[in-house]
Amino acid sequence: MVPLFDEEATVAPLVEKIRECLGPAHTWELILVDDGSTDSTAAIATELGRRDPRVRVLQLARNYGQASATQAGFDHARGRVIVTLDGDLQNDPADIPRLVDKLHTGFDLVLGYRQRRRDKLLTRRIPSGMANYLLRWITGVKIRDVGCSLKAYRGDLVERLRLYSDLHRFVPALAASYGARIAEIPVQHHPRRRGKSKYGLSRIPKVLADFLTIKMIRSFREQPLMMMGLAAWAAFGLGIVFAATAFLMPSATGTDAVVFVGAALLWMGLGCHLVLLGLLTDMIAREHYRTEDNEWALLEAG
Amino acid sequence: MSELRLLSTESQEPDANAGPVEFDVSVIVPVTERPGDLKALFEKYSEALESAGHRCEFLFVVEPWYRGIADALRDLPAFGRTLHIHQAAQRMGQSALLRIAANRCRAPVIVALPAYRRLDKAVLPDLVQRIRGGAAVAAVCRWPRRDSWINKTQGYMFNRLVGRLTQGQIRDVACGVTAMRREVFQRLPLYGDFFRFIPILALREGYGVKEVLTPQDAADAGPRLYGPGVYLRRFLDILALIFLLHFTEKPLRFFGLIGSVLVAGGVGVTTWLFAQRVAGQGISDRPMLLLGVLLLVLGFQAIALGLVGEIIVHLHASRRTSYRLAQDDQQAQL
Repeated sequence: MVPLFDEEATVAPLVEKIRECLGPAHTWELILVDDGSTDSTAAIATELGRRDPRVRVLQLARNYGQASATQAGFDHARGRVIVTLDGDLQNDPADIPRLVDKLHTGFDLVLGYRQRRRDKLLTRRIPSGMANYLLRWITGVKIRDVGCSLKAYRGDLVERLRLYSDLHRFVPALAASYGARIAEIPVQHHPRRRGKSKYGLSRIPKVLADFLTIKMIRSFREQPLMMMGLAAWAAFGLGIVFAATAFLMPSATGTDAVVFVGAALLWMGLGCHLVLLGLLTDMIAREHYRTEDNEWALLEAG
Repeated sequence: MSELRLLSTESQEPDANAGPVEFDVSVIVPVTERPGDLKALFEKYSEALESAGHRCEFLFVVEPWYRGIADALRDLPAFGRTLHIHQAAQRMGQSALLRIAANRCRAPVIVALPAYRRLDKAVLPDLVQRIRGGAAVAAVCRWPRRDSWINKTQGYMFNRLVGRLTQGQIRDVACGVTAMRREVFQRLPLYGDFFRFIPILALREGYGVKEVLTPQDAADAGPRLYGPGVYLRRFLDILALIFLLHFTEKPLRFFGLIGSVLVAGGVGVTTWLFAQRVAGQGISDRPMLLLGVLLLVLGFQAIALGLVGEIIVHLHASRRTSYRLAQDDQQAQL
């Protein structure tokens, strides 16, 4: 399954390479998802699909972004194992059989990690290294390379994932929160030869917001009220510090500390507000989790 | 269907015994604000459509306070044309009226008109032709404008503001005359005041929107000034539209941006005060401290609200599709 956005230069060679690497050893289909490209990607992909019945083309009505494109591919995939890779030839299709073999040794999700990255140091590799570190720290999932698109999924994991917004970057964290067993193997990484990269530094604040979201979603599944509760305690704590200052100050210095009383009240107000928000979120989620089954991974393993 | 009880319907249909009639155009007219001469509107527009060879039906959906207008329409000699009048029993709002009418349309092409004459009648067949030619939505852009300068300036500002959100693909959002395929209409999230932004909502769903340039009808040229409440509501509409277009799936980016600006301000103020305190200046009598803490508190609240939004989006994600395939479109056209 390959999401494509303005990759007219690489589609045809990519399909050719995948065809070579998979050969007759597996029964396979290739899903090309055209994410509203403005160049001739869609036309080329459609033509390729006409020539080979194993190549299926999904054309999205406009540019929805990689997460929705990936989700569209998931929704239409029929395989028991689903492999995703980038459309820019930076991943090597030759790694696909190795990922699939690893998956069959008892994993739900096998990630590729890029051993020697062939990208620009300052704008690509350093931010990505920091992102990897942050994600590991926030989600507790030990993953070396979050940004690598080459991944193999078991079909029934895919049925449970719902990708939207920019959540494709956090698939391992999401999968882990469903109890998936995750493995990593090294894969090859080629420099970009054709086409141009669509990422830049401008995405950093967005990624930071997404980190917070993913933390919230994960912690919420496990301990509802936890995040809001912690934040509320912190706010109450600060309120108490200010209140104590206001209480002790007049006797120590003889000045009036009405400002500190005000600050204490504001912090405590925030604390109350956060507790109420936590309860509200809990209420919104309760109905949802009652109907959802989280035990599929255990059942499969047993 | 609670909606049915709220609605009384009367229809004029020629020879109902002759079996079901095949329409190719449904014209819907919600009557909510400053209705003009609806009789003339009905006659002119239906004549234009018929002379272009279309079988059309007209649906008027009328808010309760225009009962008189509904009565007048009922007495209209329809000359063998099909005319439905739906009278709401309580206030519905224009979006709801449009939805009600669209659910009752029988033709594959829907044309939505405001309840006053805005354009030359020749534009209707032209719009329908665009839809038949494969466009999902055809919207009218009034040009040249024959209007008072007040209306021109207001319209210019509104369209500039909103048009930017579409990267200039739609130049006259305020016009309100649109034609579209029926299933397109049914996919649009039409509620509240979003009826104003139908072409933009269609773009968001990934449909192609064609603009048709038409001179404005001279009958539409009277200067209009509204109360301050109306302008405030328009402003809120635009805000809601921006949120819908950019942040529906990522509320934290919106709230988080506001929150981090507030928190940054709060951190700035409190750090400055802290530095002064270290330098030996007392801060216990400085209201500035309150401002700093207030900014921090508001910022954290905004971020927390954004997180609640993210949870809501996440929980709903499993029940909706966040994309639409272009293939579905091609099937609909065939």
